[in-house]
Amino acid sequence: MNSDPRKFVSINGLDRRDFLIQGSGLVSAALLAACDSRGPKSADKLLKYAERKNLAVERKLFRHTSMDVVQGGAHDAGNKLPSYFIAPTVPVWDESARGTWALEVSGLVGNPVRLTLQDLQKLPQVSNRVNHYCVEGWTAVETWTGVPFTDLARLARVDPQAQFVDFQSFDDDYHESWDIESAMHKQTVVAYGLDGKMLEPAHGAPARVYSPIKLGYKNTKYLTKIVFMPRMNGGYWSDQGYEWYGGT
Amino acid sequence: MVGSGLRIFNAYPAFARKGEMFCCYPFEHKAIPAWLTFGGWLGGARHWHFAMMWVLVVNGLVYLTFIYLHGEWRDLVPRKGDIRDSWQMVKFYTFKRKDHPHQGKHNALQKTTYFLLPVFGALAVVTGIAIWKPVQLAPLTAVFGGYVWARYWHFIAMLAIVILSVVHVFMVFAVDPYSITSMITGNYDPSLSPEARNARPFYHLFPRRATATPSPPPETT
Repeated sequence: MNSDPRKFVSINGLDRRDFLIQGSGLVSAALLAACDSRGPKSADKLLKYAERKNLAVERKLFRHTSMDVVQGGAHDAGNKLPSYFIAPTVPVWDESARGTWALEVSGLVGNPVRLTLQDLQKLPQVSNRVNHYCVEGWTAVETWTGVPFTDLARLARVDPQAQFVDFQSFDDDYHESWDIESAMHKQTVVAYGLDGKMLEPAHGAPARVYSPIKLGYKNTKYLTKIVFMPRMNGGYWSDQGYEWYGGT
Repeated sequence: MVGSGLRIFNAYPAFARKGEMFCCYPFEHKAIPAWLTFGGWLGGARHWHFAMMWVLVVNGLVYLTFIYLHGEWRDLVPRKGDIRDSWQMVKFYTFKRKDHPHQGKHNALQKTTYFLLPVFGALAVVTGIAIWKPVQLAPLTAVFGGYVWARYWHFIAMLAIVILSVVHVFMVFAVDPYSITSMITGNYDPSLSPEARNARPFYHLFPRRATATPSPPPETT
Protein backbone atom coordinates (compact mmCIF):
# COMPACT_ATOMS: atom_id res chain seq x y z
CA MET A 1 0.00 0.00 0.00
CA ASN A 2 3.01 2.28 0.50
CA SER A 3 4.67 1.85 -2.82
CA ASP A 4 5.89 5.43 -2.84
CA PRO A 5 8.71 5.57 -0.30
CA ARG A 6 8.27 9.30 0.16
CA LYS A 7 4.86 8.75 1.69
CA PHE A 8 4.79 8.62 5.45
CA VAL A 9 3.08 5.74 7.17
CA SER A 10 -0.36 6.83 8.21
CA ILE A 11 -1.62 6.23 11.73
CA ASN A 12 -5.32 6.86 12.19
CA GLY A 13 -5.30 9.32 9.35
CA LEU A 14 -2.35 11.27 10.69
CA ASP A 15 0.93 11.13 8.92
CA ARG A 16 4.04 10.57 10.96
CA ARG A 17 4.99 14.22 11.19
CA ASP A 18 1.55 15.30 12.43
CA PHE A 19 1.55 12.44 14.83
CA LEU A 20 4.92 13.45 16.27
CA ILE A 21 3.93 17.08 16.67
CA GLN A 22 0.47 16.44 18.11
CA GLY A 23 1.67 13.58 20.27
CA SER A 24 4.52 15.50 21.85
CA GLY A 25 2.19 18.47 22.37
CA LEU A 26 -0.30 16.30 24.26
CA VAL A 27 2.39 14.68 26.36
CA SER A 28 3.98 18.03 27.29
CA ALA A 29 0.60 19.50 28.18
CA ALA A 30 -0.17 16.55 30.46
CA LEU A 31 3.27 16.79 32.12
CA LEU A 32 2.96 20.55 32.62
CA ALA A 33 -0.44 20.13 34.20
CA ALA A 34 0.95 17.53 36.59
CA CYS A 35 4.01 19.58 37.57
CA ASP A 36 4.45 20.12 41.27
CA SER A 37 0.73 19.55 41.78
CA ARG A 38 -1.04 17.69 44.55
CA GLY A 39 -2.97 15.70 42.02
CA PRO A 40 -6.71 15.84 41.41
CA LYS A 41 -8.94 16.46 44.43
CA SER A 42 -11.11 13.54 43.36
CA ALA A 43 -8.18 11.21 44.09
CA ASP A 44 -8.27 12.03 47.82
CA LYS A 45 -10.83 9.30 48.47
CA LEU A 46 -8.70 6.76 46.66
CA LEU A 47 -5.59 7.82 48.59
CA LYS A 48 -7.48 7.53 51.89
CA TYR A 49 -8.64 4.08 50.86
CA ALA A 50 -5.05 3.07 50.04
CA GLU A 51 -3.87 4.40 53.42
CA ARG A 52 -6.50 2.28 55.22
CA LYS A 53 -5.44 -0.80 53.27
CA ASN A 54 -1.76 -0.08 53.88
CA LEU A 55 -2.49 0.32 57.59
CA ALA A 56 -3.97 -3.18 57.64
CA VAL A 57 -0.96 -4.57 55.75
CA GLU A 58 1.48 -2.81 58.07
CA ARG A 59 -0.23 -4.04 61.22
CA LYS A 60 -0.17 -7.59 59.79
CA LEU A 61 3.55 -7.25 59.07
CA PHE A 62 4.26 -6.10 62.62
CA ARG A 63 6.27 -8.55 64.74
CA HIS A 64 7.30 -7.97 68.36
CA THR A 65 10.42 -9.96 67.58
CA SER A 66 11.58 -7.65 64.77
CA MET A 67 14.28 -5.43 66.23
CA ASP A 68 16.04 -2.41 64.92
CA VAL A 69 19.77 -3.10 64.68
CA VAL A 70 22.36 -0.41 64.05
CA GLN A 71 24.71 -1.26 61.22
CA GLY A 72 28.31 -2.00 62.12
CA GLY A 73 30.50 1.03 61.59
CA ALA A 74 27.63 3.53 61.78
CA HIS A 75 28.55 6.76 63.56
CA ASP A 76 26.44 8.40 66.24
CA ALA A 77 24.72 11.57 65.09
CA GLY A 78 25.71 13.37 68.33
CA ASN A 79 24.95 17.07 68.04
CA LYS A 80 23.94 16.57 64.39
CA LEU A 81 20.60 15.19 65.57
CA PRO A 82 18.08 17.83 64.43
CA SER A 83 15.83 19.37 67.02
CA TYR A 84 12.16 19.79 66.16
CA PHE A 85 9.26 21.25 68.12
CA ILE A 86 6.12 23.08 67.05
CA ALA A 87 6.15 25.94 69.59
CA PRO A 88 7.91 29.13 68.43
CA THR A 89 10.69 28.59 70.99
CA VAL A 90 12.20 25.53 72.65
CA PRO A 91 9.52 24.27 75.05
CA VAL A 92 10.83 24.27 78.62
CA TRP A 93 8.80 23.07 81.59
CA ASP A 94 8.37 26.10 83.86
CA GLU A 95 8.52 24.68 87.40
CA SER A 96 7.72 27.98 89.12
CA ALA A 97 4.45 28.31 87.21
CA ARG A 98 3.41 24.69 86.73
CA GLY A 99 4.98 22.88 89.67
CA THR A 100 7.15 19.81 89.44
CA TRP A 101 6.91 17.99 86.12
CA ALA A 102 5.25 14.60 86.30
CA LEU A 103 4.19 12.05 83.72
CA GLU A 104 0.58 10.96 84.03
CA VAL A 105 -0.30 7.42 82.93
CA SER A 106 -4.08 7.16 82.69
CA GLY A 107 -7.07 6.17 80.59
CA LEU A 108 -8.09 2.50 80.44
CA VAL A 109 -5.88 1.45 83.35
CA GLY A 110 -6.53 -0.13 86.73
CA ASN A 111 -3.95 1.98 88.50
CA PRO A 112 -3.47 5.51 87.13
CA VAL A 113 -0.06 6.88 88.16
CA ARG A 114 1.84 10.16 88.21
CA LEU A 115 5.59 9.77 87.97
CA THR A 116 8.12 12.53 88.55
CA LEU A 117 11.46 12.38 86.80
CA GLN A 118 12.97 10.89 90.00
CA ASP A 119 10.24 8.22 90.02
CA LEU A 120 11.03 7.35 86.41
CA GLN A 121 14.74 7.11 87.14
CA LYS A 122 14.07 4.67 89.98
CA LEU A 123 12.35 2.25 87.62
CA PRO A 124 14.44 -0.39 85.77
CA GLN A 125 16.47 1.41 83.11
CA VAL A 126 17.40 0.40 79.57
CA SER A 127 19.68 2.02 77.01
CA ASN A 128 19.04 1.34 73.32
CA ARG A 129 21.47 2.36 70.62
CA VAL A 130 19.08 2.51 67.67
CA ASN A 131 18.27 4.26 64.42
CA HIS A 132 16.01 7.24 64.21
CA TYR A 133 13.93 7.12 61.03
CA CYS A 134 12.60 10.49 59.97
CA VAL A 135 9.62 10.79 57.61
CA GLU A 136 11.86 13.07 55.53
CA GLY A 137 14.19 10.19 54.72
CA TRP A 138 17.18 10.75 56.99
CA THR A 139 18.33 8.49 59.77
CA ALA A 140 20.42 9.15 62.87
CA VAL A 141 21.99 6.78 65.35
CA GLU A 142 21.56 7.70 69.02
CA THR A 143 21.47 5.96 72.38
CA TRP A 144 18.22 6.49 74.25
CA THR A 145 17.99 5.75 77.97
CA GLY A 146 14.77 5.34 79.86
CA VAL A 147 11.99 3.08 81.08
CA PRO A 148 10.62 0.38 78.78
CA PHE A 149 7.05 1.25 77.89
CA THR A 150 5.89 -2.25 78.85
CA ASP A 151 7.04 -1.62 82.45
CA LEU A 152 4.90 1.52 82.66
CA ALA A 153 1.95 -0.35 81.18
CA ARG A 154 2.35 -3.10 83.77
CA LEU A 155 2.68 -0.56 86.58
CA ALA A 156 -0.55 1.11 85.50
CA ARG A 157 -2.32 -2.24 85.01
CA VAL A 158 -3.59 -1.66 81.47
CA ASP A 159 -7.10 -2.81 80.66
CA PRO A 160 -7.15 -5.40 77.83
CA GLN A 161 -9.70 -3.18 76.05
CA ALA A 162 -7.03 -0.55 75.46
CA GLN A 163 -6.14 -0.80 71.77
CA PHE A 164 -4.45 2.56 71.33
CA VAL A 165 -2.15 4.84 73.29
CA ASP A 166 -2.05 8.62 73.08
CA PHE A 167 1.24 10.36 73.86
CA GLN A 168 0.56 13.98 74.84
CA SER A 169 3.02 16.82 75.36
CA PHE A 170 3.43 20.37 76.64
CA ASP A 171 4.79 21.47 73.23
CA ASP A 172 1.57 23.36 72.42
CA ASP A 173 -1.08 20.75 71.62
CA TYR A 174 1.31 18.19 70.14
CA HIS A 175 0.27 14.58 70.58
CA GLU A 176 0.37 11.37 68.56
CA SER A 177 -1.64 8.21 69.16
CA TRP A 178 -0.24 4.73 68.49
CA ASP A 179 -1.55 1.22 68.07
CA ILE A 180 -0.91 -0.69 71.29
CA GLU A 181 1.30 -3.35 69.63
CA SER A 182 3.85 -0.75 68.59
CA ALA A 183 3.81 0.83 72.05
CA MET A 184 4.38 -2.58 73.66
CA HIS A 185 7.35 -3.32 71.40
CA LYS A 186 10.53 -4.04 73.38
CA GLN A 187 12.39 -1.09 71.89
CA THR A 188 9.75 1.48 72.86
CA VAL A 189 10.96 3.48 75.85
CA VAL A 190 9.98 6.57 77.77
CA ALA A 191 13.41 8.18 77.45
CA TYR A 192 14.99 10.75 79.78
CA GLY A 193 18.56 10.24 78.61
CA LEU A 194 20.33 10.74 75.30
CA ASP A 195 23.87 9.58 74.57
CA GLY A 196 24.67 9.07 78.26
CA LYS A 197 23.44 12.51 79.37
CA MET A 198 20.11 13.74 80.65
CA LEU A 199 17.79 14.68 77.79
CA GLU A 200 18.10 18.34 76.82
CA PRO A 201 15.14 20.65 76.15
CA ALA A 202 16.04 20.67 72.44
CA HIS A 203 15.28 16.94 72.23
CA GLY A 204 12.23 16.68 74.44
CA ALA A 205 13.23 17.08 78.13
CA PRO A 206 12.25 16.01 80.71
CA ALA A 207 11.05 12.84 78.92
CA ARG A 208 9.82 11.69 75.56
CA VAL A 209 8.64 8.48 73.97
CA TYR A 210 11.24 6.90 71.74
CA SER A 211 11.06 3.91 69.44
CA PRO A 212 12.86 3.01 66.22
CA ILE A 213 9.74 1.19 65.07
CA LYS A 214 7.91 4.47 64.46
CA LEU A 215 8.88 7.41 62.29
CA GLY A 216 10.23 10.42 64.19
CA TYR A 217 7.00 12.40 64.21
CA LYS A 218 5.16 9.65 66.08
CA ASN A 219 7.67 9.86 68.96
CA THR A 220 6.14 12.62 71.07
CA LYS A 221 8.65 14.80 72.95
CA TYR A 222 8.02 16.88 76.10
CA LEU A 223 5.69 14.18 77.42
CA THR A 224 3.00 15.00 79.94
CA LYS A 225 0.46 12.22 79.54
CA ILE A 226 0.23 8.66 78.34
CA VAL A 227 -3.44 7.82 77.85
CA PHE A 228 -4.66 4.30 77.03
CA MET A 229 -7.69 4.40 74.74
CA PRO A 230 -10.20 2.08 73.11
CA ARG A 231 -10.07 4.13 69.89
CA MET A 232 -7.36 5.91 67.93
CA ASN A 233 -6.98 9.59 68.57
CA GLY A 234 -5.15 10.97 65.55
CA GLY A 235 -2.19 13.21 66.21
CA TYR A 236 -0.59 16.55 65.45
CA TRP A 237 0.99 15.50 62.16
CA SER A 238 -1.47 12.68 61.40
CA ASP A 239 -4.32 15.20 61.48
CA GLN A 240 -2.43 17.34 58.97
CA GLY A 241 -2.28 14.51 56.47
CA TYR A 242 0.76 12.41 57.31
CA GLU A 243 0.05 8.69 57.71
CA TRP A 244 -1.35 7.89 61.12
CA TYR A 245 0.56 4.59 61.38
CA GLY A 246 4.03 5.88 60.50
CA GLY A 247 5.63 2.53 61.31
CA THR A 248 8.98 1.28 60.16
CA MET B 1 5.77 7.07 41.11
CA VAL B 2 8.84 8.99 39.94
CA GLY B 3 7.36 12.43 40.58
CA SER B 4 6.05 11.61 44.04
CA GLY B 5 9.29 9.82 44.85
CA LEU B 6 11.29 12.89 43.92
CA ARG B 7 9.00 15.02 46.08
CA ILE B 8 9.65 12.68 49.01
CA PHE B 9 13.38 12.78 48.22
CA ASN B 10 13.30 16.59 48.32
CA ALA B 11 12.36 16.51 52.01
CA TYR B 12 15.94 15.30 52.52
CA PRO B 13 17.72 15.41 49.15
CA ALA B 14 20.77 13.57 50.44
CA PHE B 15 21.73 10.07 51.50
CA ALA B 16 24.13 10.65 54.41
CA ARG B 17 23.17 9.43 57.85
CA LYS B 18 23.19 12.39 60.28
CA GLY B 19 26.77 12.93 61.44
CA GLU B 20 28.24 11.11 58.43
CA MET B 21 29.20 11.78 54.83
CA PHE B 22 27.96 9.88 51.80
CA CYS B 23 30.48 8.78 49.20
CA CYS B 24 28.50 8.23 46.11
CA TYR B 25 26.06 10.98 45.27
CA PRO B 26 27.46 14.23 43.84
CA PHE B 27 24.37 16.35 44.54
CA GLU B 28 23.98 15.88 48.31
CA HIS B 29 21.57 18.47 49.73
CA LYS B 30 20.63 19.85 46.32
CA ALA B 31 16.88 19.67 45.80
CA ILE B 32 15.33 18.25 42.63
CA PRO B 33 13.57 21.01 40.62
CA ALA B 34 9.98 21.29 41.82
CA TRP B 35 8.55 20.94 38.30
CA LEU B 36 9.82 17.36 38.20
CA THR B 37 7.99 16.49 41.39
CA PHE B 38 4.43 15.45 42.11
CA GLY B 39 2.28 15.43 45.21
CA GLY B 40 2.70 19.05 46.34
CA TRP B 41 4.09 18.29 49.78
CA LEU B 42 5.83 15.48 51.61
CA GLY B 43 2.69 13.92 53.11
CA GLY B 44 0.74 14.16 49.87
CA ALA B 45 3.57 12.67 47.84
CA ARG B 46 3.88 9.81 50.34
CA HIS B 47 0.16 9.02 49.97
CA TRP B 48 0.48 8.95 46.18
CA HIS B 49 3.63 6.86 46.38
CA PHE B 50 2.16 4.30 48.80
CA ALA B 51 -1.09 4.05 46.82
CA MET B 52 0.46 3.80 43.36
CA MET B 53 3.08 1.27 44.46
CA TRP B 54 0.36 -1.38 44.35
CA VAL B 55 -0.50 -0.39 40.77
CA LEU B 56 3.17 -0.72 39.85
CA VAL B 57 3.43 -4.13 41.48
CA VAL B 58 0.23 -5.45 39.85
CA ASN B 59 1.32 -4.00 36.50
CA GLY B 60 4.69 -5.73 36.82
CA LEU B 61 3.09 -9.05 37.72
CA VAL B 62 0.66 -8.86 34.79
CA TYR B 63 3.58 -8.10 32.47
CA LEU B 64 5.63 -11.02 33.76
CA THR B 65 2.64 -13.39 33.57
CA PHE B 66 1.87 -12.45 29.97
CA ILE B 67 5.45 -12.56 28.80
CA TYR B 68 5.76 -15.98 30.40
CA LEU B 69 2.49 -17.37 29.01
CA HIS B 70 3.21 -16.06 25.50
CA GLY B 71 6.74 -17.39 25.61
CA GLU B 72 8.01 -13.95 24.63
CA TRP B 73 10.46 -13.99 27.51
CA ARG B 74 12.61 -16.13 25.21
CA ASP B 75 13.16 -13.10 22.97
CA LEU B 76 14.58 -11.16 25.89
CA VAL B 77 16.89 -13.66 27.58
CA PRO B 78 20.41 -12.27 27.36
CA ARG B 79 22.84 -14.30 25.29
CA LYS B 80 26.58 -14.25 24.91
CA GLY B 81 27.61 -11.47 22.57
CA ASP B 82 24.62 -9.22 23.32
CA ILE B 83 26.81 -6.57 24.90
CA ARG B 84 29.16 -6.62 21.90
CA ASP B 85 26.24 -6.46 19.45
CA SER B 86 24.59 -3.67 21.47
CA TRP B 87 27.78 -1.68 21.13
CA GLN B 88 27.62 -2.22 17.36
CA MET B 89 24.11 -0.69 17.41
CA VAL B 90 25.42 2.32 19.33
CA LYS B 91 28.17 2.68 16.71
CA PHE B 92 25.57 2.52 13.95
CA TYR B 93 23.40 5.18 15.58
CA THR B 94 26.41 7.44 16.07
CA PHE B 95 27.50 7.09 12.40
CA LYS B 96 30.62 5.10 13.35
CA ARG B 97 29.28 2.10 11.47
CA LYS B 98 27.66 2.20 8.04
CA ASP B 99 25.36 -0.79 7.82
CA HIS B 100 22.64 -1.71 10.27
CA PRO B 101 23.62 -4.75 12.40
CA HIS B 102 21.30 -7.75 12.46
CA GLN B 103 17.82 -6.62 13.49
CA GLY B 104 15.62 -9.66 14.09
CA LYS B 105 12.56 -9.07 16.26
CA HIS B 106 14.67 -6.89 18.55
CA ASN B 107 18.21 -5.87 17.87
CA ALA B 108 20.77 -6.53 20.61
CA LEU B 109 20.50 -3.03 22.07
CA GLN B 110 16.71 -3.27 22.25
CA LYS B 111 16.93 -6.73 23.76
CA THR B 112 19.33 -5.58 26.47
CA THR B 113 17.09 -2.62 27.27
CA TYR B 114 13.90 -4.68 27.43
CA PHE B 115 15.63 -7.19 29.65
CA LEU B 116 17.04 -4.56 32.01
CA LEU B 117 13.81 -2.55 32.37
CA PRO B 118 11.89 -5.22 34.33
CA VAL B 119 15.05 -6.02 36.30
CA PHE B 120 15.34 -2.41 37.43
CA GLY B 121 11.58 -2.34 37.99
CA ALA B 122 11.86 -5.28 40.36
CA LEU B 123 14.86 -3.65 42.05
CA ALA B 124 12.84 -0.47 42.56
CA VAL B 125 9.99 -2.43 44.15
CA VAL B 126 12.17 -4.53 46.43
CA THR B 127 14.39 -1.64 47.57
CA GLY B 128 11.21 0.36 48.07
CA ILE B 129 9.84 -2.28 50.43
CA ALA B 130 13.23 -2.32 52.19
CA ILE B 131 13.07 1.40 53.01
CA TRP B 132 9.35 1.29 53.77
CA LYS B 133 9.85 -1.34 56.51
CA PRO B 134 13.51 -1.12 57.59
CA VAL B 135 12.76 -2.62 61.01
CA GLN B 136 9.96 -5.10 60.37
CA LEU B 137 11.77 -6.40 57.27
CA ALA B 138 15.29 -5.70 58.52
CA PRO B 139 16.84 -8.77 56.80
CA LEU B 140 15.64 -7.46 53.43
CA THR B 141 17.03 -4.00 54.16
CA ALA B 142 20.32 -5.62 55.16
CA VAL B 143 20.54 -7.33 51.75
CA PHE B 144 20.92 -3.88 50.19
CA GLY B 145 23.47 -2.74 52.76
CA GLY B 146 21.11 -1.16 55.28
CA TYR B 147 18.61 1.68 55.09
CA VAL B 148 20.94 4.35 53.72
CA TRP B 149 22.17 2.15 50.88
CA ALA B 150 18.74 0.65 50.17
CA ARG B 151 17.47 4.21 49.74
CA TYR B 152 20.37 4.85 47.38
CA TRP B 153 19.68 1.74 45.28
CA HIS B 154 16.00 2.75 45.18
CA PHE B 155 17.10 6.07 43.70
CA ILE B 156 19.50 4.42 41.22
CA ALA B 157 16.80 1.96 40.09
CA MET B 158 14.45 4.91 39.47
CA LEU B 159 17.17 6.73 37.53
CA ALA B 160 17.85 3.67 35.37
CA ILE B 161 14.14 3.21 34.62
CA VAL B 162 13.77 6.88 33.69
CA ILE B 163 16.82 6.88 31.42
CA LEU B 164 15.88 3.63 29.68
CA SER B 165 12.25 4.71 29.23
CA VAL B 166 13.09 8.16 27.91
CA VAL B 167 15.58 6.77 25.39
CA HIS B 168 13.12 4.00 24.49
CA VAL B 169 10.24 6.37 23.77
CA PHE B 170 12.57 8.79 21.99
CA MET B 171 13.70 5.97 19.70
CA VAL B 172 10.10 4.95 19.01
CA PHE B 173 9.37 8.43 17.70
CA ALA B 174 12.75 8.84 16.04
CA VAL B 175 13.09 5.47 14.35
CA ASP B 176 9.74 3.76 14.07
CA PRO B 177 6.71 5.86 15.03
CA TYR B 178 4.46 3.25 13.49
CA SER B 179 5.31 0.90 16.33
CA ILE B 180 3.64 3.23 18.85
CA THR B 181 0.33 1.51 18.15
CA SER B 182 1.88 -1.89 18.72
CA MET B 183 3.05 -0.77 22.16
CA ILE B 184 -0.63 -0.74 23.08
CA THR B 185 -2.19 -3.40 20.87
CA GLY B 186 0.76 -5.78 20.68
CA ASN B 187 0.23 -6.22 16.93
CA TYR B 188 3.03 -5.39 14.58
CA ASP B 189 3.02 -5.58 10.82
CA PRO B 190 6.62 -5.15 9.67
CA SER B 191 5.50 -4.50 6.11
CA LEU B 192 4.10 -1.15 7.24
CA SER B 193 7.49 0.18 8.27
CA PRO B 194 10.06 -1.94 6.49
CA GLU B 195 12.83 0.56 6.00
CA ALA B 196 12.32 2.61 9.14
CA ARG B 197 13.17 -0.26 11.43
CA ASN B 198 16.68 -0.44 10.11
CA ALA B 199 17.32 3.26 10.06
CA ARG B 200 19.01 5.85 12.18
CA PRO B 201 16.98 8.29 14.32
CA PHE B 202 14.99 10.78 12.26
CA TYR B 203 16.09 9.08 9.06
CA HIS B 204 12.64 9.79 7.67
CA LEU B 205 13.21 13.53 8.09
CA PHE B 206 16.55 13.54 6.28
CA PRO B 207 16.68 14.38 2.56
CA ARG B 208 16.06 11.23 0.56
CA ARG B 209 18.84 9.44 -1.25
CA ALA B 210 18.78 9.72 -5.03
CA THR B 211 17.81 6.09 -5.48
CA ALA B 212 14.85 6.40 -3.18
CA THR B 213 13.49 9.50 -4.89
CA PRO B 214 13.02 9.14 -8.62
CA SER B 215 13.77 12.64 -9.82
CA PRO B 216 11.63 14.08 -12.60
CA PRO B 217 13.17 13.80 -16.05
CA PRO B 218 15.50 16.72 -16.67
CA GLU B 219 14.08 19.39 -18.89
CA THR B 220 15.73 19.63 -22.22
CA THR B 221 16.98 22.90 -23.42
